[in-house]
Amino acid sequence: MAERHPYIEVRDLVYRYPDGTLALRGISLDIYDGDFIALIGQNGSGKTTLAKCLNGLFKPTSGDVIVEGLNTKNTSITNIAKRAGYVFQNPDHQLFNNNVWDEIAYGPRNLQLPGGEVQARVEETAQVVGLDEKYFTEHPFFLPKGLRQRVAIASILALQPKAIIVDEPTTGQDIKQSLDIMDFLLDLHREQGHIIIIITHDMPIVAQYAKRVIALGLGEILVDGPTRDVFAQPDVLAKTFVAPPQITRLAQRTQHLGFDPHTLTVSEMMEQFQRLIPGQWLGQ
Amino acid sequence: MAIVEFRDYTWKYSRTKEPALKNINLKVEEGTFVGIIGPNGAGKTTLAYSINGLIPNQYYGVRQGAVYVLDKEVKQYRSDELTKLVGMVFSDPEAQFTAMTVEDELVFGMENLGMGVPEIRERLDWVVPLTKIGPLVEKPPYEVSGGQKARVALAAVLAMTPRIMVLDEPTSMLDPISRITLFEVLGELKHKQSNTIIVVEHSLEHLIPLADRMVLLYNGEIVLDDETEPFFEQMETILEHDAYPPEALRFFYEIGQKGYYQGPLPFTVEEAAQKLEALWQGGE
Repeated sequence: MAERHPYIEVRDLVYRYPDGTLALRGISLDIYDGDFIALIGQNGSGKTTLAKCLNGLFKPTSGDVIVEGLNTKNTSITNIAKRAGYVFQNPDHQLFNNNVWDEIAYGPRNLQLPGGEVQARVEETAQVVGLDEKYFTEHPFFLPKGLRQRVAIASILALQPKAIIVDEPTTGQDIKQSLDIMDFLLDLHREQGHIIIIITHDMPIVAQYAKRVIALGLGEILVDGPTRDVFAQPDVLAKTFVAPPQITRLAQRTQHLGFDPHTLTVSEMMEQFQRLIPGQWLGQ
Repeated sequence: MAIVEFRDYTWKYSRTKEPALKNINLKVEEGTFVGIIGPNGAGKTTLAYSINGLIPNQYYGVRQGAVYVLDKEVKQYRSDELTKLVGMVFSDPEAQFTAMTVEDELVFGMENLGMGVPEIRERLDWVVPLTKIGPLVEKPPYEVSGGQKARVALAAVLAMTPRIMVLDEPTSMLDPISRITLFEVLGELKHKQSNTIIVVEHSLEHLIPLADRMVLLYNGEIVLDDETEPFFEQMETILEHDAYPPEALRFFYEIGQKGYYQGPLPFTVEEAAQKLEALWQGGE
């Protein structure tokens, strides 16, 4: 296999807000085709700032962000956004058109695609996110939150970016809705080959979906690795003010009984339990 | 004595076809800590608004039956009387901010209740450290981070020390550590004061160890209403209605189903670990 080239390269990225706040203090990381990343960390750790640097909304104060060979410093936002799309944490901060159709069409129109192509992209992405045509004429603000989130994702997808960054996809959703959104992102990842980057506080969701975890703390990367390995280091995680999922903590607390500290889900715990349970129970 | 009581209460918003709450009967005794759970759209927020008078005072709709606070119907109260009795923390704390600084935000509510300066001072000295917002008091409330906003919103309500506190998804904007802080504050209140606390919440891990009682809403109706321990014994009903108990509890339910465990379900990682150790030692 040829040498793997990162799709997004981040080199010594520093970002300082106009008010002087230093949000990112020298971040370096590579994001590859095939990545499904969870960006975790305390409120204020720099997750959203990093995401906005990845899609070119913010330009580095120093250092570089290179998306498919293009440096965000000297590339237009539109040009970066069709490669790395960012879905806002609160869809209401992103949606601004008077109906759903215009909202999804906004990006493709901005790329100055011909009308037929715009229409095709709107219909295609609406279908991908499971948004019925009957909503096309509705005002986005009057849709329930779950649907508004889908409109927000559709409007980014319509640009057909390789990498999709979703800021807190499950906030305000109940668990069933959260799983629906995550299953949908997983489909985009598996079926359409998108790189997915989610920002989230929901560790069971991270455990279940992300292949790689990057934990930020005070604008620096504290740990970056496969999900299972990251959750197995509670002391490192503690620095990020994030606790592993409850079932992982139970497995770690009962390691002396033979449970694997890398356990991520209830069903993994269950399998081990049936293997480990002492002999006197086996007649049950 | 019941401090809050719903009697055959039905509420339909004028903009929807179906009632948001249907024939609700619910009695909350003074000093209890009640968790309200259920998927989005189940009617949880409507229930909360019906206690603090936002419904029917600020929303159009049709009501049957009644909600009582103490011995008087909610709609019979003057709004300042009801504010003294019922404090509300919203899921979107920005909705409740009105002042230019965090401190003014806290003072505003107390002044409105007619408190004098010495009492206001005394309460600030209690509530500011309790909610860990000391460094924020001079800042505008809309400029602090999401987690801090939630704590300010809680502090503003605590400062008024209402007999009934209603919190509508207070942790939805919070990182895991801020979540723990918030529930620590609620735990302290529960143990030291006699406030009645009603919390609407998806994230059950921290709620359950504090709750005396749990109510499951689904499609506007109460499906389950019980003290916390017996509540979780009805796991099938809970799972059927899209509520997801914490992982350690679910794990114990599953090993119980397979015949390995009988007894009360654990509410924390530590309880679960101790029960596993006991199993390994050949039963309790």
